Amino acid sequence: MSRLRRFLSTPEAVAGALILALLAVMALVAPLLFSGDPQAIAGPALQPPFQDWSLPLGTDRLGRDVLAELFHGARTSLAVGLAAAAAALLIGAVVGTLAGFAGGLVDEVLMRVTDAFQTVPSFLLALAFVSIVGPSLGVVVAAIALSAWTGPARVARAEVLSIRERDYVAGARVIGMHPLEIAFREVLPNALPPVLALSSVIVAAAILTEAALSFLGLGDPNRVTWGGMIAEGRTVLRTAPFLSIVPGVALVLTVLGVYLAGEGVVESTAVRRSLS
Amino acid sequence: MSELTISRRGLLAGSALLWASTALPAIAFAQTPKKGGRLVLAADSEPRNLNPAIVASNGVFFISSKIVETLAEASFDGKDGLEPRLALSWEGAADGLSVTFKLRDGVKWHDGKPFTSADVAFSALQIWKPLQNLGRTVFKDLEAVDTPDELTAVFKFAKPTPFQLIRNALPALSSVVPKHLYEVGKIEDNPANNAPVGTGPFKFAEYKAGQYYRLTRNDAYWSKDEPYLDEIVYQVLPDRTSAAAALEAEEIQLAAFSAVPLADLDRISKVPGLKVITKGYEGLTYQLVVEINHRRKELADLKVRQAIAHAIDKDFVVRTIFLGYAATATGPVPKNDPQFYTADVPTYPFDVAKANALLDEAGYKRADDGKRFALKLLPAPYFNETKQFGDYLRQALAAIGIDAQIVNNDSAAHIKAVYTDHAFDLAVGPPVFRGDPAISTTILVQSGIPDGVPFSNQGGYKNADLDALIVKASETLDAAARTELYKEFQKKVAADLPLINVAEWSFISVARDTVGNIANNPRWAVSNWADTYLES
Repeated sequence: MSRLRRFLSTPEAVAGALILALLAVMALVAPLLFSGDPQAIAGPALQPPFQDWSLPLGTDRLGRDVLAELFHGARTSLAVGLAAAAAALLIGAVVGTLAGFAGGLVDEVLMRVTDAFQTVPSFLLALAFVSIVGPSLGVVVAAIALSAWTGPARVARAEVLSIRERDYVAGARVIGMHPLEIAFREVLPNALPPVLALSSVIVAAAILTEAALSFLGLGDPNRVTWGGMIAEGRTVLRTAPFLSIVPGVALVLTVLGVYLAGEGVVESTAVRRSLS
Repeated sequence: MSELTISRRGLLAGSALLWASTALPAIAFAQTPKKGGRLVLAADSEPRNLNPAIVASNGVFFISSKIVETLAEASFDGKDGLEPRLALSWEGAADGLSVTFKLRDGVKWHDGKPFTSADVAFSALQIWKPLQNLGRTVFKDLEAVDTPDELTAVFKFAKPTPFQLIRNALPALSSVVPKHLYEVGKIEDNPANNAPVGTGPFKFAEYKAGQYYRLTRNDAYWSKDEPYLDEIVYQVLPDRTSAAAALEAEEIQLAAFSAVPLADLDRISKVPGLKVITKGYEGLTYQLVVEINHRRKELADLKVRQAIAHAIDKDFVVRTIFLGYAATATGPVPKNDPQFYTADVPTYPFDVAKANALLDEAGYKRADDGKRFALKLLPAPYFNETKQFGDYLRQALAAIGIDAQIVNNDSAAHIKAVYTDHAFDLAVGPPVFRGDPAISTTILVQSGIPDGVPFSNQGGYKNADLDALIVKASETLDAAARTELYKEFQKKVAADLPLINVAEWSFISVARDTVGNIANNPRWAVSNWADTYLES
């Protein structure tokens, strides 16, 4: 409880949480508020915003409702951001724990693989992966996770290296627990907090990567994405700038919200740690 | 009240005078082209192979047509829509077995050697027939080219070949390259493919990858006083939005081939000093076509194809996607073709209720979720408009209960998926109509074409009637009878829908007012620009 209060005591964290809550609401109500296909043609093409209140944010080049696209785009952005971050954290934690706990050759091999992934620019890796496998939502999530798991893996390994020397780990060994059981039931849960602290950065990066992929035409073409909306609007940037500005602003706010909220969480836990 | 009328009239007269005074110099200039100057224009692609005799495509012609000339060029008012270039006259024999070309005298290659009938014979037999993407079909029966003297070339065909077809193919397919440079070594690897040598008004000067192509004036050009320009520079601007900005900043004077996006035209037409020109592309009509994979059992059913045709609002496509810079299509020959087009074909007006009824009749009832069946839709990535039409088609099909899933590919992957692997149900393609259905149109519906030939019938469509008609037309020598057969062809295609023609469009040029003699032939952007000039 006191932790929540600490979290809420910083204005940045509150702002971040509010933005995220708004985004979550948008994503949840999108199918209720704008039932049917958000890509359906709803009115005349290129209607500017705030002219017709049935289409408050206007329409794009084919006459699709920008507001409906924005709401449905929030779903895609959040889904991709969260799924990719979860996958990256999972892969990273498992690899890091195995490497740190086993040590020796296993550690060497896993860490060199991690190095190999880290030396390739993460966006390039995602780009190459999607262009080979073909764009669909699952592939995009996998591509982003593939390029983002190295950070969590390194943090997890460092944490495990210190935890595995603790007495309770030695105790578990003595009572004859299987090394894998020790690694994943005793060590990993205790190594998790610093790894989870990375999550806000990864979610924000994942949302941006997804938008960039969609912008380059490598997103799922059957779903509305903010990156795809910006790319579509770019061809009419001079005549209808709102088509790029609206999803662009949404993207900036989302990443800002995720970052601020994540920062708030880290700070509140940091205060708790220094207190204890 | 009367005072007001008078003053208004005075005002009108005054402003008319003012208008006339600004218009006068422009008219005067139009009559006497000025010499000199450098024309800088936007280029959106960088073809590696610049030999138009091998790669007969607009991207290559755009640059190399100024350097390498053809036997004849398209013309608005010439006989049979042609005007002489390297050939002065062309005559087809009554039996369809030979065509005689009289060539222009006193023409020199850029390296000083004289141009003769041997060059024409070499180009036709060694390049057009075996190597050229389009020439392979048109010149397939070309057996020999006789050269009785230096200025006469007689094409001999093994089978009767319609003279009308050869004539219509001249502007795009008859680029003549120098024999003395190409007779040594492999033609495909010849250095002149990247630095072409021709007889045209401009010489190839240099190419900087990612930056520009530069052409300089050919002082020994056969047409006296021409060309007017000293230099042409193609500034590489791959980003379509940058061409408009470059025009406004006066960095370039011309953006052809719709380098300025359609959505920007309205705004840019109001910028002083810039003009939007829709003429000059009549001979390069692109067709927006829904390609159909007839291997899918649903799509093999004519009723389903009719339903899809009825579900597409062609007027919406022209108005919204092409912003009016296009025409709705009725069949496989575009409306602007003066020789072959017929409007007398079955049509499919936009009618969702009828489309739904046709699908019900065909036995594809809506399931509980409102969907009848799912399809894979592959929009070609070459144009913004083909991609947008893909998005539109998905919505149009959703309205009749067909769930189309879009698959996006890059150009290479799209060509492989559609024309080699046949991994599509519907595809959106932009084939080009090149003045005669036999050049690149009948191939879209003819059966028996090997896998992997791009822009051909790869949908597994087979119609013995239509195949027989295509063969018959290719052997008919009389121009009027041949034209009739192609009218029949249009009717049959529109009735059986091996593919669905949606719209026809061409390109737009945007130029500064100072550029003169723009768009004065139907293939202007890919013609030789000998008479193009700059006012200042």
